[in-house]
Amino acid sequence: MKCVIEGSNVKVFGKAIHALSRISDEMWLDPLEKGLAVRSVGPAHSSYGCFLFTRLFFQLYSLNISSPQAALGRCKLPVKSVLPLFRCSASIERSVDSCKISTGLSDTQVTFQLFCKHGITKTYNLGFQEHDVLQAVFPAHLCPNVLKAQPSLLGDMVIHFPASQEEVTLSVCPKRVTMRNYCEERDQIKVMSTEMSLHPEEFDYFHVGVDSDITFCLKELRGLLSFAESHGLPVYVHFGHPGQPVRFSVENMVLEASVVLATQTDSESEVSVQPGGSEDPAAPSVCLSVERSQSWSPCMPPSVCTGGGVESRPQDAPPTAPPEEQVPSSQGSPVLSRPGNLEYFGLHVATDSGAHAAEPESADPATFRLHSLLFGAVSSPWPNEGDVLHTSLACASDTEEDNMEERSSATPMPIY
Amino acid sequence: MRFRAKILDVGCLNSFTRVVNTISKLTKTCTLRLTADNLYFMLSDKVANGGVSMWCELDQGNFFDEFQMEGVASDANEIYLELVPENLSRALRTAQNAKSLKAKLTKKHCPCLTLAAELPSLSSVSRVVTHDIPVDVIPRKLWHDFREPTVPDFDVSIYLPPLKTMKNVIDRMKNLSNFLVLEANRSGQMNLKIETDLVSVSTHFRDLGNPPCGDGGSQGASQDLETMAQARVDIKKLQQFLSSQQVNPSKAMCSKLIYPSIHLLPI
Repeated sequence: MKCVIEGSNVKVFGKAIHALSRISDEMWLDPLEKGLAVRSVGPAHSSYGCFLFTRLFFQLYSLNISSPQAALGRCKLPVKSVLPLFRCSASIERSVDSCKISTGLSDTQVTFQLFCKHGITKTYNLGFQEHDVLQAVFPAHLCPNVLKAQPSLLGDMVIHFPASQEEVTLSVCPKRVTMRNYCEERDQIKVMSTEMSLHPEEFDYFHVGVDSDITFCLKELRGLLSFAESHGLPVYVHFGHPGQPVRFSVENMVLEASVVLATQTDSESEVSVQPGGSEDPAAPSVCLSVERSQSWSPCMPPSVCTGGGVESRPQDAPPTAPPEEQVPSSQGSPVLSRPGNLEYFGLHVATDSGAHAAEPESADPATFRLHSLLFGAVSSPWPNEGDVLHTSLACASDTEEDNMEERSSATPMPIY
Repeated sequence: MRFRAKILDVGCLNSFTRVVNTISKLTKTCTLRLTADNLYFMLSDKVANGGVSMWCELDQGNFFDEFQMEGVASDANEIYLELVPENLSRALRTAQNAKSLKAKLTKKHCPCLTLAAELPSLSSVSRVVTHDIPVDVIPRKLWHDFREPTVPDFDVSIYLPPLKTMKNVIDRMKNLSNFLVLEANRSGQMNLKIETDLVSVSTHFRDLGNPPCGDGGSQGASQDLETMAQARVDIKKLQQFLSSQQVNPSKAMCSKLIYPSIHLLPI
């Protein structure tokens, strides 16, 4: 893949990297037919960010889709390798004319070139690990609550919370929207609590199907909010009951960006996450469903795993689930397990599950209760387009490019 | 014990915020004393060991449009609270354009000073931000710790040079030594000196001016104009005090020297 970003878009790209750096220390570059996706998955898999730059964003975007996978240049990079290139947006604006990104030429390196004024060219060869690309799926159309807000409105809400505030609770009901800081019981005694409330009229679009209080990590969201503010893009918020993830997204002609965050469940239905522990049959949807490919790729029924925490699945067991356990977000759709899809759950299967199980142990108890809950389709977030995207489908990315041509003609398969 | 107050004027809110910001830079915790007419921010630390003590008295009428309090008892109509001024500063920071600010003493999971700011909004209904700042109520038997400090007899009283200049000098000196000797005389001369094994540095200021020798001057006019009164202070504390000053841009300050302590009074 080779692409060239010109002029002021270099700064936009840099800001996107900054936003993703709030989520995780690693990012994925995923060249796709429709554009370049840059993704990031947070620790404990409780957050996910994706910036998709369409072809229009680039002065040049060439992707050799028939080349072998390695040459496509999917790669995982540490954010601290990429961030210094775009660290100072003021100086980028002043001195950088264009930026060229080339992948696939080498098995181990991706090349960033910054063409600057006065004939200076800076070339960075960044080493990477070839890695399966992750993509969260999120059924936006199934979310009962949808808000659209100007970025300054959300900025005005979060400004009252200090930068160190980890988590906040957003409560919505038809009369009022409230955001307050969240702290663990034991910390509550001497911590200042802040609550900000405003009227639903202030939102550009406000649809609340179910009154709900969701608690999520504010720190990881701030990157997207400042990106939205600097580009004046309205922010869409899709969410549902506590425990279901919340998605914040923005888009314009040339890019789509979204951040999906897990939310805390209600304390009554809390799941205690134990490393390698027994599965809790009453567990709500604690599930990591990671799709490799485009959400709209046809041909395969949804592969969804249910039942128990990520940590409790033994390494070599295929994702199976008793039929009575269902992912609430899929609204009762049947669960199918496909042994062949084991490879898709690379996040928790390919990695050493012992290490993965150990991961939440060291995590703050607050994050302990945040479920690794990313599911649904990375699809258009807009409610009116939801019906096209009932298919949250997985497709082997090996065969993705074969399906590219078929994609437009294949009819989506319904889910139940 | 009850307390309710309201600020409606933006200018008053800004001034109050500046005072609170100054205090939050000086100390991590302090005592807030409420009486019917005044608010006091107090800190008493062990002055003998080079600590800092602070006393700030505010007339509530200068800031609040409404101010009602009921103390712990009818013969002791005051409230003493211990709080973290940084919390107060943080709550006020984002409320600078508020239509109104209400403060009251409440009991949530613990006693709290609750600040509620009504902010302008795009709709007909205002936005409301509420902050609950945890406080500790100081029992009456400890109130005597917070008596107003008497201004002791002093040797020299002098106006300080522009704070920015002084701060620059002290910032550099801080890297070399922990203690600084400040000396001044009644002729408007002041020196800042540090001395270490390797180096000694002194900065001299002239023509600073001395305030009229009013109350408290010891030995009166019999003291030689040129005699320097000296005091040795911890540089970090002095620097902290200088960097906290936000209240008065004009920066005329009065410093009184009594061996071995310095009293700094913003004017």
